[in-house]
Amino acid sequence: MPSPINKKLLKHLAELARIELNSREEERLSKDLQEILSHFEELQQLDTSEVKPMTGGTSLKNIFREDEERQNKYAGAGAEVFPEKEGGFLKVPPVFE
Amino acid sequence: MYSLRNLTIKSFHEGLVEKKFSALEITQAFFSYIKETDKRIGAYLNLNEDGAVMAAERVDIALAQGESLGVLAGVPLAVKDNILIKSLPATAGSKSLENYIASYSAGVIQKLKKEKAIFLGKTNLDEFAMGASTENSGFHITRNPHDPTRVPGGSSGGSAAAVAAHMAIAALGSETGGSIRQPAGFCGVVGLKPTYGAVSRSGLIAMTSSLDQIGPITKTVEDAAFLFKSIAGQDVYDSTSVETSYGDELMNPTLQGVRNLTIGLPNEYFPKELDGEVGKAIEKVILDLETLKIKFKKISLPFTKYAIPCYYIIVPAEVSANLARFDGIRYSRIDEKRLNAKTLKEIYTRQRGEGFGTETKRRVILGTFVLSSGYYDAYYQKAQQVRSLIKNDFEQAFKQVDVILGPVSTTPAFKIGEKISDPYEMYLCDLFLSPSNLAGNPAISIPVKETVSQVQGDGKLPIGFQLIGKHFREADILAIGQYYEKIKR
Repeated sequence: MPSPINKKLLKHLAELARIELNSREEERLSKDLQEILSHFEELQQLDTSEVKPMTGGTSLKNIFREDEERQNKYAGAGAEVFPEKEGGFLKVPPVFE
Repeated sequence: MYSLRNLTIKSFHEGLVEKKFSALEITQAFFSYIKETDKRIGAYLNLNEDGAVMAAERVDIALAQGESLGVLAGVPLAVKDNILIKSLPATAGSKSLENYIASYSAGVIQKLKKEKAIFLGKTNLDEFAMGASTENSGFHITRNPHDPTRVPGGSSGGSAAAVAAHMAIAALGSETGGSIRQPAGFCGVVGLKPTYGAVSRSGLIAMTSSLDQIGPITKTVEDAAFLFKSIAGQDVYDSTSVETSYGDELMNPTLQGVRNLTIGLPNEYFPKELDGEVGKAIEKVILDLETLKIKFKKISLPFTKYAIPCYYIIVPAEVSANLARFDGIRYSRIDEKRLNAKTLKEIYTRQRGEGFGTETKRRVILGTFVLSSGYYDAYYQKAQQVRSLIKNDFEQAFKQVDVILGPVSTTPAFKIGEKISDPYEMYLCDLFLSPSNLAGNPAISIPVKETVSQVQGDGKLPIGFQLIGKHFREADILAIGQYYEKIKR
């Protein structure tokens, strides 16, 4: 499989990941990712068609509890470091332009 | 008289209850020693002097009033800075969390507070625990106490260096793929990665949720057992934690019990490329354990070589999801420049662009890629299937043996700067470590006798060996470890 990573795809991925990169970083990450992906090729040799994927760290089944009203001890915690607040809410720029 | 060097959890407890010293005296001695020593090592990111002194005074009052104290009461501990302690900074080694103050305490910290343990401060790590050298910290590097030109390993390098340099009696680290065992091995101390689910992850800043575990870094195997016992158990705030019942066998193993265990030696953990010194050291361990009349058996873990690519797909995938919460708003202070951002998206991209280091960006973007439409099946799904094969390796092996033994790393601690420019070279540090993480098994790194010198900075480098156990059988690996420590040579 030829490496699909190029500058255009990298820019798209960085945008999806909400990370601003400068051109030097784009250069470096593009090279790094190509190199790292080349080491992943080895996995393609394995026939895993019959193998069930392991989707988590445990084999625990879902554990249910009653949907009861609870007091949230931590409501508002962390807001003290936020620069702009209004009436108990955090103030941020608009989501849509 | 006491020496900070000789203090273990056990000897501290004995000295405290026999009134040879007070908790306050020892705590203050640690702070003056840290201030003098840590300039050279850089193990700590911040200290909790006021909190620790108050906690130590409470321990001394409790003792004076005749309260019976647990073995961890008054014990000065170091805590990796991705574990939350209420009202203290928790940066996870990231500039993006420079101003974050924890609003609650991690499950393990709440348990240790009940035991009246003392927290000296928070230790350095690779940013968000991603790395094997602590060079990826957003703040400063940490040096190996045995040779300041070398790395302490990582990502729990600060915790391992703090214990090795006697700047704490013991510490908490966290491991996703070797991050407790590898720095413990490089620094000549003991590191235990518990079974996935044995210890609560609540309040551990999440990196890879299906792998992350908190565990002890200590001077002796016995201390690791003390600390593990006190942090293990179910927590309602971690749905993957389970109720554990570790009985007396954790602390009081018997020689007969140890003799009934069979140790497996996997071919794949003894490759030709293994450093000569490391190979010789592991051979010595096997000879020593044979004197205890433990049986050995050659085994195979055939999918070992696929563990690194498998691990480095699963980890970035989960990293890209877990780190999405660091939006530059909720956990950080926004400066004036960023307040001028016109849209929310601009805040996200700028804050994350400025706040994250190179390795973090690399993993978030790689994770975004392996999860993206068109590549998901070829990479992420494939890696999850290979993870099943690796887990099956261990299941098959543990039908024949009770414990698996191997080296921790292929070489002793490497030089600062040696691997930092080649990310894949750094990833290979996890070669013998990440398979047991992927499979969820408990594992302990123990320094090989005679590779740890008492004189720091004499250039002699410690070498570690590891024991991997069956799920929730920490008792087996701790038992062999405790008897290994007792062997006189």
